[in-house]
Order: sequence, then C-alpha cells, then structure tokens
Amino acid sequence: MAKKPSMGRQKIKIQKIEVKNHLQVTFSKRRSGLFKKASELCTLCGVEIAIIVFSPAGKVFSFGHPNVESIIDRYLTRNPNPNNSITDPFNLAEAQRSASVRDLNLQLGQIVNELEMERKRGENLDNMRKTNENHYWWESPVCKLGLEELEQLKEAMEELKKNVTLQGSKMMNSTSIFGSNVAGVFDQYESKPNQAILGSNSGASINNNFGYCHGFF
Amino acid sequence: MTRKKVKLAFITNDSSRKATFKKRKKGLMKKVSELSTLCGVDACAVIYNHYDSQPDIWPEDHNAALRVVAQFKRMPEMEQSKKMINQASFIHHRISKAAEQLKKLRHDNREKEVTDVMYQCSIGKLGLHGLVVADLNDMGWLIDQKVEGDL
Repeated sequence: MAKKPSMGRQKIKIQKIEVKNHLQVTFSKRRSGLFKKASELCTLCGVEIAIIVFSPAGKVFSFGHPNVESIIDRYLTRNPNPNNSITDPFNLAEAQRSASVRDLNLQLGQIVNELEMERKRGENLDNMRKTNENHYWWESPVCKLGLEELEQLKEAMEELKKNVTLQGSKMMNSTSIFGSNVAGVFDQYESKPNQAILGSNSGASINNNFGYCHGFF
Repeated sequence: MTRKKVKLAFITNDSSRKATFKKRKKGLMKKVSELSTLCGVDACAVIYNHYDSQPDIWPEDHNAALRVVAQFKRMPEMEQSKKMINQASFIHHRISKAAEQLKKLRHDNREKEVTDVMYQCSIGKLGLHGLVVADLNDMGWLIDQKVEGDL
C-alpha cells in the first residue's frame, strides 16, 4: 500500500493557533525540533545552552548543555566569572563528558548515514517495482486483478511454495553446516544490508557469488 | 538557501565556527519565539558562548526572561526534572530513534526484495537452487502471507 504523502511544508502565520489539536501537535513537533537545533548548536559551536519551554498543559520541558540547572543558576547569579568547573579545560569530569558527547555524535552521524542509504535503497526498489508492475500483471496489487487472474496467481504461488519447501529440505539434508537454526531468524538491525542473493540489484542476482554460508551472521 | 551537509562535530575553524554560531543562534531564537507565539506558551533561552560573559537570551528583555526562569524554579523539583534533558541523553535518544527507523526500513526493504525474487522464481527467471536457506524461508513465509491474506 502506498504511503499517503504528508502535506509537506506549509507557510503559516505566526500567531496563536486556533484549533487545540493543531496547537498540541505543533507544540510537540516544534519543541522537539527546537531541542534538536539547540543540541546541534552546542555540538557545532561548543556553546552552553539552557532552554525552558512550558507546554500548553502546563508541564515544563527543558534542554540544557551541560545541564539545565548549572546554566540557569549561572544566569541567575549573573556571575561575571563563570563557574570554573564548567569551562576549565583541565577538569576531568568535563573532559570525559565532552568525549562521550563527541562519541555519541559520531555514532549518530553514522546511523543517520545508514538510514539515508537504506532510504535510497527503498526508493530504488519501489521504482523497480513500478516498472515491473507495468510489464507483469501478476505483480500488480491484488485489488486490481480479476477473479480468473487471482486464481491463476494463487495456483502459481502454491506451486512455488511447494518447490521452495522442497528445495529447502534438500539443502538441509545435503549439508550439515546449517545446524539446527535454519529458521533463519536474525536481527534485522544487526545484519548487513546486502545479504545472500538479495543484493542491491536484484535483477542480476543469478550471477552473484552465493556460497552456502551466506545469510548466517 | 544553500543546503550543505554538515558534520555533527565541533567546528575547528574559528571564523567558520563564529559565522555558524551567529546564523544558528539567530535561527534558534527565532524558533523559540515562534513556538511561544504559535502555541501561546512561556519560554526562554539562555546561550553562553566563550567570547562574551553576557549570555544571549530570549526574550531579549532580562526581566521577561527571569520571569520565566522564576516560574520554572517555582515548580516542584520532580516536575522540573521530569522533562529535563541534557545533551548526552538527548543524542542517545536520537540514536535509538534512528536505530528503530533503520530496523523497520531494513525489514521493509527486505520484504520488497524477497517479493521481487518470488515473482522472478515463479516465472522461472530465477532458479531456486541459487538461494540460501534464509532466503527460501523468507520467501516461503511471504508466499503464505500472500496466499492467505490476499488471494
């Protein structure tokens, strides 16, 4: 089923939102985005920030780097000489904190890249699917097929399943290295994207090097 | 507005960092202001940089900002800390969210791939002998889903 596209970026007037539901949704999204921007500013420019936001319901959200309290207290006392433990470069706790934030940011960067790659892959797969749907009627969504076509498809699928099961047991019996865990259960997050035959260009899959050991992680 | 991909790391080039700070600080303050107006809520932001002893704040008027801070301080400790987050936890949270999305995306893409292979096998374009057990299992599962669900 195709995902319904969202409305995209709309230009709105900066005045209080009338509809309560919209207001709450906007608050939630924008607050989240605001903290994200604040977090980025801290990372990129090495500054210290505190943000306090009250919600429409009266709860309070706050973001702070290194933490909300120290920044607020510093602001309240208006101490011209900031607390040394915050800015002292030789402070071990501070150094450790910065190091872990740095690592976290690296990790975040990596995951975001992987996410982008996976998204692109999904797009390619979708495009391929679209072209195939035009060539092969059986690849169209089921709702578009007539009764006779559905029956044909069902038969073809059941036949395929028979062969698949046959092939599966053939393989299980012929080699012992599979062991008992042939259920093929694997953690999607841990597995590498291009597994076994299903590389990124499915069309050319026959020629790939599928050893019997692929797919086991 | 040029959109260059920015690495999430401290900008070592001084002038570049200063320029980025100026731009992003302005943008951030604008976002705080918009949030406050759009949702009719109180908010304040305090930014300390290493050049000035005086922080950049929003609202720009100290009294207004202090009012919000006082409001915050008046709340019970538990209320204050309930939705309080610092940089490290925030990034942690972002990482787990991204990891979840990645997991789902990988699953969806896998399903798309197996579907494609399934069709190729059904028309004889691809032979089953080239597949490994994991693929066969997934395909078998997918076929069952299709037959029971759709057909």
